[in-house]
Amino acid sequence: MSYYDLDAILTDAEKVPCKFELDVPDLGYLDNNPSQGLKAQTPVSLPLWLAELLALSSRTQSSNPEDSAPFLTLEMPKALSNEVVSALKADPRAVALRDQTHNMYGLATRMLDLFEEPEMCAVLRRTFVTRAAETALHARKAGATDDVVRGEGFLSGLEEWERSLFRRAHDGNKACKEWMEGVKK
Amino acid sequence: MDIDDILREVDPSSSGLPSETRDLQSLTRVWVAERSTPELLSWPTDGLVERVNGRIASQIERVEALTGDMDPRSNFALIVIQTELERYKFLVRSYLRARLAKVDRHALHYLSTPDLRARLSPTELAYATRHQALLHNHYLASFLGSFGPTLQNLNDTSGNITMIDTPDLESAVFIRLLRDARVMGKGVDADGDVQGRTGDIIILRWSDAKPLVDTETAELV
Amino acid sequence: MALPLPQGLVPTEVAFLCEMEMVTVVPRQRLESIPLLSGDTPVLRPPHRAPMPLWLALLLKKQRRANIVPPAWLHPASLADIIHHETNVDPQAFSPPPPPPTRADGRTGRARPFQENIRSSREAPKPGDDPRLAPPFLPSCTADAPGGYLPYHWLELAEALLAHAADDVPAAAEVRSLLRDLQEVRAAKMRGSTQSLEGGGGVVVLRGVGAMELAESRAFVLGVVDGVRKLGASAEATRRDEEANGGGGRYGGGGGRGDFEDSDEEMEF
Repeated sequence: MSYYDLDAILTDAEKVPCKFELDVPDLGYLDNNPSQGLKAQTPVSLPLWLAELLALSSRTQSSNPEDSAPFLTLEMPKALSNEVVSALKADPRAVALRDQTHNMYGLATRMLDLFEEPEMCAVLRRTFVTRAAETALHARKAGATDDVVRGEGFLSGLEEWERSLFRRAHDGNKACKEWMEGVKK
Repeated sequence: MDIDDILREVDPSSSGLPSETRDLQSLTRVWVAERSTPELLSWPTDGLVERVNGRIASQIERVEALTGDMDPRSNFALIVIQTELERYKFLVRSYLRARLAKVDRHALHYLSTPDLRARLSPTELAYATRHQALLHNHYLASFLGSFGPTLQNLNDTSGNITMIDTPDLESAVFIRLLRDARVMGKGVDADGDVQGRTGDIIILRWSDAKPLVDTETAELV
Repeated sequence: MALPLPQGLVPTEVAFLCEMEMVTVVPRQRLESIPLLSGDTPVLRPPHRAPMPLWLALLLKKQRRANIVPPAWLHPASLADIIHHETNVDPQAFSPPPPPPTRADGRTGRARPFQENIRSSREAPKPGDDPRLAPPFLPSCTADAPGGYLPYHWLELAEALLAHAADDVPAAAEVRSLLRDLQEVRAAKMRGSTQSLEGGGGVVVLRGVGAMELAESRAFVLGVVDGVRKLGASAEATRRDEEANGGGGRYGGGGGRGDFEDSDEEMEF
């Protein structure tokens, strides 16, 4: 990850579900209950950078890793729930990833670092590749008509990595077309 | 056929290439390579760019001499010479600017160790150092100066993430094999291992392609 | 001043490179040798053929000082053969590139120095030898180039000849339409090339692909390869750990997606 990478920073800010392992005073507002402390095991959402930090660091001083207990436990965000992954498995093109999160794959790489999910990893790779081919077809069409990207169903569902692929495919087609038209000069 | 040709024919160890032709091929290759890799490549140490620049300078002198000559027959020769000159200038300029773009993008990285600094030409090194100093002073004057002293660095590497951006050496490139060779490359589910043939165009990670390029087994395309 | 272009040659740069390809001309006028940076041009004496780079040949052509001899692969029969190969013989892969030139091929035409940049690639590499030659410095677009194979710069060279020397190209209209067909069938293969990348194969061979086809799709294809790598980074790290613990890391773990020795499988990754 690069320090000045905007997508990485935005992915860092994605909210992920988690549960504190202990009661936390004065954090009740995270559960819409500011007058009381936050009870252990209450489901809350925290930005990834904070949740990751609290999930990976130990609240006890013990040097024995067996004793280490994190402040909270992380769960898979909704965008990567079984429901979404099953839908992607059935037909990668039918899901509007952007409606899940703008940084679907960015978030996925971060979560796959934290959870061992080989199957999800395989499904996401197949999703990415299948949707990329579809994206290239759309980019070709857009290049042919010189149309600005309309809110077509599939294209409006592209998340950030895919949008970048669309731009790359579109720019390549366009540059090639311009060269073809310029040969005669 | 002149005597040089005959000598070349009988001497199989001679490459048969005039140095001008060889330099054009080398310059073309380093240009394509620099345009195609994620990281800055080493400045040619054999004086390639200096040699080409010297030839360009003397060719410009020749053009000036020919321009005075009003013989229409040499006119066409002049057009040809100038056309070629423009092509050479384009190559050199594009090569230098491609390098400059990489130096600008990762200046702190290329200045960070002696090995990396050695990739830059003396002029590039002077440029990168001075440019970085100017930038830092500008940032200090416009916003960094109002931060606490510990927050004024641009090269902090503490914490989980370094402020010094580096090129992604695992990003993929296209290469062409210059001879038959076994090509191995890291993959996700399995690593690749292919018996490649001369002329094959191959996609693989730059970290796996670099040894092939360094040994002239392959070139970037 | 820094170059604002993305990584990898763009179409206009590829066209520039293609202009270094050697072609064969038939001079219509005498022309003495011209001292160029890349060496002296051949003395031109009609009707003796001479090799020269495309940019110079086009300059002569525009001034009606020479005609260009199109390479054999650009003839309609040759293009039709290639299309047949691309659609029927091997609908997966690109048609094979021209064979490496032999010494005999390379040494034809005596005008120096332009033909000198041709050497047999069958010679064993010698220590301290010149770098191996590759397009645009191979004679794959001269009159002696073999028919039936598309060289690396096929599309750019064909377009340049059709635009500026159409009267030198036999059956130019037919050639134009065959080229469109060829572009179409190969573009589909290029798009197909990313479809089966999900395994993140370490080495992907695109034998026979052309320079302009690469320029058009390079950024996209590399974007897909890099995306798959990033999505698979954790799986790859796990696999490497396991391999390091059991039996040591090795390449091409037997029938993995990344390895394919059979050339028929080149496009399947």
